[in-house]
Amino acid sequence: MSLAFFAAGLSLAGLLGLGRGSVRRYLVAAALGILVASPAFPLVGAVGYLSREALEPTLAALLPAYPLLALVPLAAALALALAHFGGRVAGLGGLLGGGLGLFALLSFLDGHAHLVKLRPVPGLMEGVAALALAIPFLALAWGQRKRAWLWLPLGVALGFGAFSWLNSPTGHTYFPRMGAYYKLVLPAEPGAEEALVQAFNQGLEELNRVRQEIGLPPLKPIQDLSGLGEGRLPQEVAQAGYRLLQPAALRYGAVALLLFLGVLFGAGLWLVFRPGLEEPGDLRQGGVMAAVALSIFPAFDATEFDLGKLVKGWPFLVNFLDRAWPPNLAQPQHDIYPLQSVASEMLLTVEIALVGTLLAALFALPTSFLAARNLTFKNPVLRLLFYLMRGFYNVDRGVDTLILALILVAAVGLGPFAGVLAMAIHSIADLGKLYSEAIENVDKGPIEALESVGASGSNVLRWAILPQVLPLFVSYTLYRFEINFRVSIVLGLVGAGGIGFFIKGAMDAGHYDQMVIGIIAIVLVVNLIDFASSWLRSRLV
Amino acid sequence: MIEVRNLSKVFPDGTQALSGASVSIPKGDFVAIIGLSGAGKSTFLRTLNRLVEPTAGEVWVGGVEVTRLSRKELQAFRRKVGFIFQQFNLVQRLTVLDNVLHGRLGYLPTWKGLLGLYREEDTAIALEQIKRVGLQGKERARADQLSGGQQQRVAIARALAQEPELILADEPMASLDPRLSDVILGILKEYNEEKGVTVLVNIHVLELARRYARRILAFNKGRLVFDGPVEALTPEVERQVYSGNLEAL
Repeated sequence: MSLAFFAAGLSLAGLLGLGRGSVRRYLVAAALGILVASPAFPLVGAVGYLSREALEPTLAALLPAYPLLALVPLAAALALALAHFGGRVAGLGGLLGGGLGLFALLSFLDGHAHLVKLRPVPGLMEGVAALALAIPFLALAWGQRKRAWLWLPLGVALGFGAFSWLNSPTGHTYFPRMGAYYKLVLPAEPGAEEALVQAFNQGLEELNRVRQEIGLPPLKPIQDLSGLGEGRLPQEVAQAGYRLLQPAALRYGAVALLLFLGVLFGAGLWLVFRPGLEEPGDLRQGGVMAAVALSIFPAFDATEFDLGKLVKGWPFLVNFLDRAWPPNLAQPQHDIYPLQSVASEMLLTVEIALVGTLLAALFALPTSFLAARNLTFKNPVLRLLFYLMRGFYNVDRGVDTLILALILVAAVGLGPFAGVLAMAIHSIADLGKLYSEAIENVDKGPIEALESVGASGSNVLRWAILPQVLPLFVSYTLYRFEINFRVSIVLGLVGAGGIGFFIKGAMDAGHYDQMVIGIIAIVLVVNLIDFASSWLRSRLV
Repeated sequence: MIEVRNLSKVFPDGTQALSGASVSIPKGDFVAIIGLSGAGKSTFLRTLNRLVEPTAGEVWVGGVEVTRLSRKELQAFRRKVGFIFQQFNLVQRLTVLDNVLHGRLGYLPTWKGLLGLYREEDTAIALEQIKRVGLQGKERARADQLSGGQQQRVAIARALAQEPELILADEPMASLDPRLSDVILGILKEYNEEKGVTVLVNIHVLELARRYARRILAFNKGRLVFDGPVEALTPEVERQVYSGNLEAL
């Protein structure tokens, strides 16, 4: 299994090398990836007695117990250092780094389960968080050397302030998981494992009697810890700070490291045979690739991405389609008319979008003039209004229609009125911003011309600016209507009426053959509206 | 008619566009302003109706000190000064008539202007000027459907609809086919002779300046280097006008 990931990385490098670009950047990316993943990504699993005592140590945390693992980052650092020289030297560095790393990692992953002891590293995560806060300021200081006197002390002060707050009892009250989050894994005292095995075997008779009473199969005596009863430590052992480290329980860090090692090795191979596969500036590209790859791995893990679940759920999908077809258009004998409901609810959905968009446009129209820089920069009062409007737009853009609808449903009750209000409020920001940008981009010639004939300010607005922006306003409003129609479909799901409400009802009741009518109607109407709206917009400008 | 004293303009970026220009132009004169690009012709013209605010000096037009006018007074002053732009500056989506009627906005109360409630006489004046520039029959056409020459004639009609006492034209032919120059300048010349209205035109084609103007002002690097009748513009003076800084081209 572990080798399969390495092989995947190897073949990835092989394919990438065919692209004739620099291969050295992949080598650099892989080496950097290993250097970051080693202290940051969980490598394997470890269990205690309770499920919340489970632990996923990183490679760096395992070093006190398994010093050989140090070869992985060290070899990667060597490969990175050699990559600077380019050509065959870089290639050999890749081979060496990939090979040594693979050897060290595999010899660990193939090992048995071991009893280990934990030692928390206080202040480590606090330090990382503080550093993350300080880094933008340090970057600013680096970018604006002239202002460094401001940014540098500010960043340092913020970093130290954040660290001492996070590391204080108050900080630990707000972020209880932060303190002692990172734990070093130490080897257990000699003899501890044997004692544990003996203790388990001695208590086995008693345990099996209990298991028999509750109808579970009896357990056999064990030789080492890998067979320990259902992979859990006895309660008192876990409480004493021990964990059972299971090298076979791979976490995403192991997958990442194996892939990186494969790429490192593969890129090294390419460079040994084709030393010319490098370009100036590819070291920096490697850094960017490493950053992208490193952010993807934890994201997949956090979203519990698992194709296996899809395979398991496949029968449900088939069953769903089976029950959804043919659609149940009407059952007069039971007084059920789904097609009629879909038509009415779809009409309501369109109407929600119409009213919501219109209300938003009515409010955005006057305010967008205040949010246009070019109309407000001369006058300090207008300038203040400009910042207020832009501030309102920015806050409003952040609060999504659905969230507003949830709140408004609670305030004004279930039904389309809540949806219309939510849509209107949220769309103001979007439309206002588009409108004001259109105003900012008008041709200044007519403004100058109208000023030169002695027209007053409001007449300049009316005759020089409005004729230029009005078609754009209409176009943007239509575009927003398209979006709002799709939003209003979903609005029904939170109880704000329309086709979404029908679909949720049908889904909850298991009437898939009614729900499918709604889905088909949505597909048709969405495309119809998009087509009509873009046709109209193309005629406007 | 026009009295300019020690007029200077320094733009915020530090460019000295005009330095200490002083000139006096009697009513009814037809003046051509020549010089290289960047010599200050355009800035000079624009300070006369304060499309550009001068940094120093005085501008008097028709007994009014333009540089001291308040916002309201400036609007009232500007309606008597027609300005013609190189880029026409029409409102493209409006009709010819709407654009020409803009010349009457200064004569209407603001609220009537906003609603487009022009008086009958305003429309009559606008139609007359459209006819003068030879665009009768195009009143209902949208400005963006016209050729460049036609658009500039609409812009001239807009300026004439102001019933101006002074016309300022900033390179009105520069964006057009050279053959249209005579049409444009012809209209201005005719109006000048018929109504005795003072006309100032920025021209970079010397030959046209000689043909139409009675008097010539020449700028070089923001300084007024020549001021006199057409006949006094000898080849030697010409060289002086067009000397120096070629990168300004």
